[in-house]
Formats: sequence, structure tokens, C-alpha cells
Amino acid sequence: MNFTNFDFDQLFGMGDETNPIMMLVWIIPIIIFVFYGQRIQLYITSGEIKKGIKKLDSFRDESRTELIDYIGNNQSPKNNNLTEKIDRFLEYFTIMPVDMDPNGIVDKVRHTVRSREDYTREHVRSLSPEISEIELNKVQTLLEIASSLQMIYKIINHMYLTAKKQNNYPLILPLQMLLPFIMEHAEAMKEAIPAFKTGQPVGDGIGPMVVGKMMLSHPKETISFQTSLAQTEFKDRKLFLLKAEGPGSTVGRPADGLENLISKVHLDAIIMIDAALKMEGEDSASIAQGFGAAIGGIGTEKFQIEEIATKSNIPIFSIVVKQSVKEAITLMTKEISDQAKSVTEQVYEMIGDNTKPGQSVLVMGVGNTVGVP
Amino acid sequence: MMIFSKKKITLAYTIEKCPECKMIKKRKFSEGDILFSESSGCSSCGGMMLIEKIYGETLEQ
Repeated sequence: MNFTNFDFDQLFGMGDETNPIMMLVWIIPIIIFVFYGQRIQLYITSGEIKKGIKKLDSFRDESRTELIDYIGNNQSPKNNNLTEKIDRFLEYFTIMPVDMDPNGIVDKVRHTVRSREDYTREHVRSLSPEISEIELNKVQTLLEIASSLQMIYKIINHMYLTAKKQNNYPLILPLQMLLPFIMEHAEAMKEAIPAFKTGQPVGDGIGPMVVGKMMLSHPKETISFQTSLAQTEFKDRKLFLLKAEGPGSTVGRPADGLENLISKVHLDAIIMIDAALKMEGEDSASIAQGFGAAIGGIGTEKFQIEEIATKSNIPIFSIVVKQSVKEAITLMTKEISDQAKSVTEQVYEMIGDNTKPGQSVLVMGVGNTVGVP
Repeated sequence: MMIFSKKKITLAYTIEKCPECKMIKKRKFSEGDILFSESSGCSSCGGMMLIEKIYGETLEQ
């Protein structure tokens, strides 16, 4: 083929016989895209974001309604301005301490977060003074879910409206990139509501489930706020078993529990069992072993545990069960619950391999203990 | 595509196990079920069954 005999006039529609209307057909779109391309992109992207925001709004409404209905059905005596009070709770915010001087920031963060927890607990109790401790924890968790969904909706809506108001396409780009992750978290939170309402164990509860089973037939004592401890023996080693106090929805205060325990006994090893977020491509419910404190949250508990372990020179071993965000906060899947036996065997193997007879080991089941006593 | 995706529902199940004869029974979860608590009598040996597991199974509709 000969590629050298192009007629450029014909190719670009510049020839004498070319229809001027046909020329406009390709020139006009180019002009439109040059001047209005970004704006068109903004409209297309904002349409997708709008759908996401609509979904977030429905999640927020559903969680609020579920919370109001749940408290309304279970409260005694009846409170007339319940909806108004709950709406006020949902608007609560937490201002994190200033971190310009990071010295002592962990204590400040812990104080702020615990003050919020204590305040919320007392206010939920004031709504229904005869409420049981388990129900109180349930309501507190539902309140946390509803207020988190409210906050997510508000932030995303604010970013979207600001970008639209300013007609600013670059401003909407980070939102477009983040939205799928945010939607995944929000959907997980919405789907977590039935599990917490009915007191079913969630994926995050695999640690408390394993330790709870090891605690069976051993007397339990309260070692710190909403945290229980039991003592047993295994192959001439003293075992201390620690988990949040179930079956209410709580993670307890394992770091305070460790601090109290270490003031009374000497520990030679700490084994932590927790749920961990799986990476894309990893199998759900797969088990992994490692070193270091396996505990999530904002980091204050982890800091406290690491500090105690470092001061007392105690090695920390960890076993994690991998799962997605959704699996961690919704009803435990069969695959995760089937791993409980294997995790228990690995805990005993770890104790045998890393400690000597006569030594003491602390086994901590980290996570939300809803549905697990 | 969304129009072809099937609706997923999760059903909660309770697994009971008899500590004596090791018989296992699977039933639908009912509110108040708590792990490791006594639930019902064992139909095989008459002992007390314990709740061994509570989990969800997802079905596509």
C-alpha cells in the first residue's frame, strides 16, 4: 500500500468541495471540549457523587430511625422528648488535643475519648434509668454508628457542595477517588446495625470468642472497666486470660487490665488475638502470626500496652484472623467462626514454643465481645 | 452490572453441641442466644447442649 499520497485538504475537510457543515461537525466539539471540558467532567462526576450522597443520606436516616425505635421500645419510663435528645447526641463532636507539642498527647487523647464515652453512657442512662448494662452498651454502639454515619454524610456533602459552588473541578477529584472507600465503610456500618441490635457476635469478636472459650469453667473477675480476667494452667505454665466483659457490645479496657495485672504478677509473655483487616487478594478468615501488639482503635490502648511491655521486658506475640471491614463489624461469617478451633490450637502451640514451665503468660482476646460472654 | 446483580441476604444460624455425646444441631438464630451458654436438651443422650457457634450465611436471591 502506498501511504504517501494523502490529500490533507480532503482529510481535514479543507478542500473546495467539502461541505462547511461537515467541517463544523468536528470543529465545534473541539472548541466545546477546550473551553468547557472541565465543566462537563464536573457535571458527569458530580452526578456519580450525588448518587453516593443520596445513599449516605438514606444510611444516616435509617440508622437514626433504628436507634430512636430501639430506645423508644426499650426505655422505661417513657421520655417525651426522646427524638430531640437523640438528635442532640448525634450532633456531638470530639475536638482532638493540639499536637504541636506531641509530648503527653496520648494521655490527652485518652482523657478526651474516655470523657466522651463516659458522658454518652451517662446520658443514655438518663434516657432510660432502668436500662441494663448490656442494653446500655448496645444503645451506645448504635449511637456511635448513627453519629458516624451522620458525620460521614455531612463531610462528603460539604465537600461536594463546595466544589459545585466554586465550579471547581480539581476540588471534586479527591472526593471521587475517596468515595468508593467511604461507601464501603458506610455500607458496612449500616449492615452492622442488626447484628448489634440482636446481640450476635461480629467478625471482630473472634479474639474474645477464642479466649471466652478458654475461660469456660474458670472463675472470672473484673480486672478493669468492662474487662474480665480468668486464671488457668497449661503444661505447668500459669495462664491469665483477659477479654472484654460480654455478652454486651464493648471492647473493654485491656490496657488498664494489663496494668492492674502487672502490678500483682510477673508476666513472661503476652499473646494477643485480634481481627485484622485483610489486604485485597488475601483470603478471608486466614490466620497469621506475628510480633507486636495486635489491637486497633485510635492507638491509646496500643501505646499503653507497648509501654508496659517495654518497661517490663515482656515479648508480645500476636495471632490475627484476616477479614474485610464489612466482615469485622457485621455478623460473624461461618469461615471466621470455623477458625476459632485452629486459633486456639495455635495459641497453645505458641505458649509451648515460647515459654518454659513455671512461667506466666497473658492471653488477650482483643475486639468487640458482643454475643460472647 | 448492577441490574444483573442478585440481592444478597444473610441468615443467622446457631450451632449447638452436646458436650457428652458430641452431637451437633444447626438451627436458626433466635434472639437471646449467647455463645457457650446452655440452650436445649440433647435428643440423643438427654444432656444439655451448649451453643458452640453463631454465624451468618449469605444467600443470593
